[in-house]
Amino acid sequence: MNVRRTLRHPAPPAGAAPDPDILRRLAGGEMNALGELYDRYHETVRRFLARATSNAEDVDDLVHATFLAAAKSAARYDGRTSCRPWLVGIAAQLLRRRRQSFGRFLAVLTTFRGMRATTTDPRAALQARTEVGESLARLSEAKRVALLLAEVEGLSCAEIAEALGVPIGTVWTRLHAARREIRRALEDGEAP
Amino acid sequence: MSAGACPRAFEAEAIRDGRLTGAARASFERHATSCAVCAREFETLDRVAAGVRSLPYTPADELHVRRERTRLLAAFDRELVAPEHAPAARRWAFGAAMIVAIAGALVLLNMHRHDAPARPVEASRATIHAEGAAVWSERIENDREIVRVERGTLSIHVDHTQSVRRLLVMLPDGELEDKGTTFTVRVDGAHTTRVAVEEGSVFLRLHGRAPVVIEGGDVWPHAALESPASASASAAPSLEAPATVQSPQPRTPGSTVTAPARDPSVDFQTAVAALHRRNARAAAEGFSSFLSNHAHDRRAEDAAYLRVIALQRCGDVRATREAATAYLRRYPTGFRRAEVEALAE
Repeated sequence: MNVRRTLRHPAPPAGAAPDPDILRRLAGGEMNALGELYDRYHETVRRFLARATSNAEDVDDLVHATFLAAAKSAARYDGRTSCRPWLVGIAAQLLRRRRQSFGRFLAVLTTFRGMRATTTDPRAALQARTEVGESLARLSEAKRVALLLAEVEGLSCAEIAEALGVPIGTVWTRLHAARREIRRALEDGEAP
Repeated sequence: MSAGACPRAFEAEAIRDGRLTGAARASFERHATSCAVCAREFETLDRVAAGVRSLPYTPADELHVRRERTRLLAAFDRELVAPEHAPAARRWAFGAAMIVAIAGALVLLNMHRHDAPARPVEASRATIHAEGAAVWSERIENDREIVRVERGTLSIHVDHTQSVRRLLVMLPDGELEDKGTTFTVRVDGAHTTRVAVEEGSVFLRLHGRAPVVIEGGDVWPHAALESPASASASAAPSLEAPATVQSPQPRTPGSTVTAPARDPSVDFQTAVAALHRRNARAAAEGFSSFLSNHAHDRRAEDAAYLRVIALQRCGDVRATREAATAYLRRYPTGFRRAEVEALAE
């Protein structure tokens, strides 16, 4: 019985520059390094954001902002072998800030209009053709992001807490609630 | 959480989240080997994770990825490499908006001679961007705006919502009349050598030649439409694609009817699919063929750019450099100029 989560992600091709080298060059202002970083991880970041946000139109802007933010903070990279969790963490932070900004804007707007603020999480189309997909789409963005970071991107709960700017206990709670919903969808799908 | 009859089942999730470590973890792992409920709990958590990981996802197509990459690098160059200029640039832009009316009046009355890098000049309704050492002037004459080009390359965008004036570009060897468009005109050695229309259309009237209508997406020479009085238009493709990709016209024996024209959308998508499948050689050949058969198609610039990328992935440095040079020659103001310039070096 394997009780340890082991997520294997594709390693860079043989002979390719290690991630810390790319980040070091990027910190020095080398544009080619950003291009290399983008070529290596744009799919990872895009896939995470496409599944995490319910607004498909935001994905390109968020991918763009993620790599720019990575370039700005490349000098502070801690030198880990793979910068994938770091990049995905940046993407999650940007997603959270965007949701908060939109929420504040919407709250101000509806205050002026004398209306109650509606949801700040417009549930546009996630391509959910399965029970799991539909269940994931119904989750709040906060729970969905936590689950994706843990189960798809392989971040530890401590890394998720740092990326999202919440206590680790909040991460555990969100994961538990998200898994409960997904389990329910799986069990309903299997019910005769 | 539904956990059956075992009070320790919740520890399965605790292990997964890193909350249970050391001796406590080892204890639960031993317990789980003999407890069906806890073993099933592990399996269920694995299934949840597997279900989330297997959600469908449609990757962005190659062209979109390259566009976004170019946009990113441009933003990096703009925002991060020269950040000390950003505040000054914003102040300049604000100030330029305040003085553009005065500058426009001065521009209309004066001849401009520039050797410094080009700067945009706001006219009353035309935005003109001069490149390199362009020599040109502009004036308003009754109901016409007249731009005179002596040499160099101008990119012109005309906003017809602002005025009813016609825009006339006077060339050393003729004139070009705007019909509501964005276009680029190049003059070398007192001859008009290139007109590329991005949107709208223009009339090109050169001395001793029939008028030519150049539509959006077309490039002259090899414009899509000429008046009936013209002789044969120049026919050779303007892009230096390999000669081997010229497709022969199949003929039915005894018939003079030519084969149906190839569908440019099919050809383009076929080449893109090859690139997406990482078959760079097939993609390069496909884009070369597209450029030969559909030189005036609105996707020609995309195809020229993707051909460069495909050749780069083939590892053919010489061919990549040649294709990049050809792209820059044909599309000097192309959207991907900055990236292709790096590949042409």
